[in-house]
Amino acid sequence: MDLALTDEQKVRKQEFYDVCKELEKRKPPNFLGFETIYEDDKCWEYNLHCAKEFAKKGWLALGWPPEYDGKGDMMDRVLFAEARGYYGIPGVDIFGVQMLAPTLLQAASEEIKRKFLPPIARGEVMWCELWSEPNAGSDLASLSTTAIRKGDEYVINGQKTWNTGAHKADWGFGVFKTDPAGRKHHNMTFILLDMKTPGITIRPIPYLDGHAPYCEVYFDDVHVPAKNIVGQEHEGWAVVNLLAGFERSGISEIMTMIRGLEDLVEFCNETKRHGQPLAKDPLIRNRLAELACGLEAARALAYRVADLQNRNEMSLMDASAGKIFFSELGERFAFLATDILGPYGQVKTSRWAPLDGVWERMFHEHFITTVSMGTNEIQRNIIAWYGLGLPRIR
Amino acid sequence: MDLRFTETQEILKKMARDFLTTECPKTLVRKLEQSTEGYSPEVWKKMAELGWMGLIIPEEYGGMGYSFQDLVVLLEEIGRNILPGPLIATITGTFPILQAGTEEQKKTLLPKIAQGELIVTTALLEAEGVFDASGIAVKATPKGNDFIINGTKLFVEMAHIANCILCVTRTKDGTSPEKGITLFIVDSKTPGISWEVMPTIAADKLCEVRFKDVNVPKKNILGKIDEGWPIVEMMLRKGAIAKCAESIGAIETCVEMTVAYSKERVQYERPIGAFQAVQHKLADMWTAMETSRYLVYEVAWVESEGLPCAKEASMAKAYVNEVYKDVSKWAVRLHGAIATSADHDIPLYYRRSKAADIAFGNTDFHREIVAQKIGLV
Repeated sequence: MDLALTDEQKVRKQEFYDVCKELEKRKPPNFLGFETIYEDDKCWEYNLHCAKEFAKKGWLALGWPPEYDGKGDMMDRVLFAEARGYYGIPGVDIFGVQMLAPTLLQAASEEIKRKFLPPIARGEVMWCELWSEPNAGSDLASLSTTAIRKGDEYVINGQKTWNTGAHKADWGFGVFKTDPAGRKHHNMTFILLDMKTPGITIRPIPYLDGHAPYCEVYFDDVHVPAKNIVGQEHEGWAVVNLLAGFERSGISEIMTMIRGLEDLVEFCNETKRHGQPLAKDPLIRNRLAELACGLEAARALAYRVADLQNRNEMSLMDASAGKIFFSELGERFAFLATDILGPYGQVKTSRWAPLDGVWERMFHEHFITTVSMGTNEIQRNIIAWYGLGLPRIR
Repeated sequence: MDLRFTETQEILKKMARDFLTTECPKTLVRKLEQSTEGYSPEVWKKMAELGWMGLIIPEEYGGMGYSFQDLVVLLEEIGRNILPGPLIATITGTFPILQAGTEEQKKTLLPKIAQGELIVTTALLEAEGVFDASGIAVKATPKGNDFIINGTKLFVEMAHIANCILCVTRTKDGTSPEKGITLFIVDSKTPGISWEVMPTIAADKLCEVRFKDVNVPKKNILGKIDEGWPIVEMMLRKGAIAKCAESIGAIETCVEMTVAYSKERVQYERPIGAFQAVQHKLADMWTAMETSRYLVYEVAWVESEGLPCAKEASMAKAYVNEVYKDVSKWAVRLHGAIATSADHDIPLYYRRSKAADIAFGNTDFHREIVAQKIGLV
């Protein structure tokens, strides 16, 4: 066991932190975490600015092979994610950089790689994910939106939903039924498409607080070149599974929470209640300490997942456990922080809101991590079925 | 970064697992719980031959010279199997001797510990049952070349068979509770010492030890007079990590046994592990195990590197305490009535989860340390 960073890694880590710290100073006032980039034009511009800055340094292609202008290794990705998480900096497209690029590197044809990877590395093209449908959520393989092959094209008809940032994205990747008569898991294809293609209608869905980070996307005879696929035709399910395994350490989210805890500790030290700092309240001390312990455990497991990924020994079980753990820690943190803030825990960003109102926002935003990317209940199934070998539901 | 065990650690792990499976079956564990001694001198002797008591003692003092991280690997296996006896008490007692002992004390004590000839325990807690210095009232008063110790210690592990007691005493009433604490190396046969085994949940032979006018020579002071508390803190920190290591092994057994049982126990014409109510609980137990494991490995590494880790050690202890209790509780619950029987192995672990929680500081004690270390005023 060795958790030490090499001297080179220490230098790179410092650079990641320095750059992110600088970018933090340019945050627009409305920027309150990653999801706000999809809700506010200023925040989206800030996202694009950060992407360009990172692209200049080659950091959007960390861990890619040199032949695709990659730089650094998987450990650099982890250290970079830490820094971004700690300072809460966007600019790394979760869909393009974190999900699609590693999938393309493993499963796409040379032509697709050459066409789509460079714009991702340059921070020019932003992506969205087109997976869930109204009647295909956790049971994604029961999807019904079709992409029927006609000559050199697929013609797509149907509806996708819960597509985060689809209204901002340039391109989308999704799975569509290409062989309606085929058997489940062998009847769909992983397709890349331009979101400006005629026939696509994007409708933002208001989240429970009224903002709209995600959308529903309608397809009405949308024509897509048949060459824009990843993996084999009708075998998109394998690509979905491959993609779902990437970037699941959660280290970025965990570092965001660690920073959040630091800010909350400062708040408790400076804020007086009953004539003494909140920090003196034994109950608050105990609850914050409990949370800090959980955060350290989450970080330790994230390193475990990262360590496995670095060696291409991805453990589905550990990745699922990590996702369950850090996302539910986020729920508990939001509940705890809004408790500590008392009546101010309900106030949205305004002159009355402590800590910019970030905790009122977190009180509902935590659902994004527990519900998306496979609900935590699905993650528990993965551990039970694939990890512990318990009988699975058919 | 590489979180895998080294080759040496893999060998140590396998050796420990094979040894404990053969030498310490659950029949022996139960027998020892009922016995007066609480440990098997035969197994102890064989462990000494394997070098376990001297694992972290440098070679120059007759030990193996392994790292703290290696010790964690061994202790995890011990927790997995359960090994009643004074191993952890002795190893924990070795830390202060290694750090604060004089050359003479080291040369006298360490080789004997390494050979299994000297069982050590630490007398820390008293009537108040707190792990901070305010609980230390047992007095040591100078008299000529000796100190005279008077008072009663509680929860002293395996004191009834220990040869050597590290006694934490108050030698001066200082400005703060931490000032005026002195550690003494006390031969347990010294006149004036008496003991009684306390009946405890894990039958782990915690003792009340009474000191009545016990003469201890000045040269048996461990560390500096009146300045012993930092040694206690170090011992609590390392002991806490050691206990965590033992606990993650125990947690692993609870998870493995419960998963296995849920695959074989059939109700409603299917294994109970086919029900999602059971599956999701098992997934949570596994997740808790995995988070605990890597948290403990991380802390063990930091400690091994000699870097400051008071915060991380307390985080680990506070976290693992709760996981062990919870996972072993669910192990009983998912087994159903069968695991409430004394004949079942799971309760051996469940009972020990409470003992592990208390040893070297319970959850609230360590959370308070964490609260301070994260910067709460």
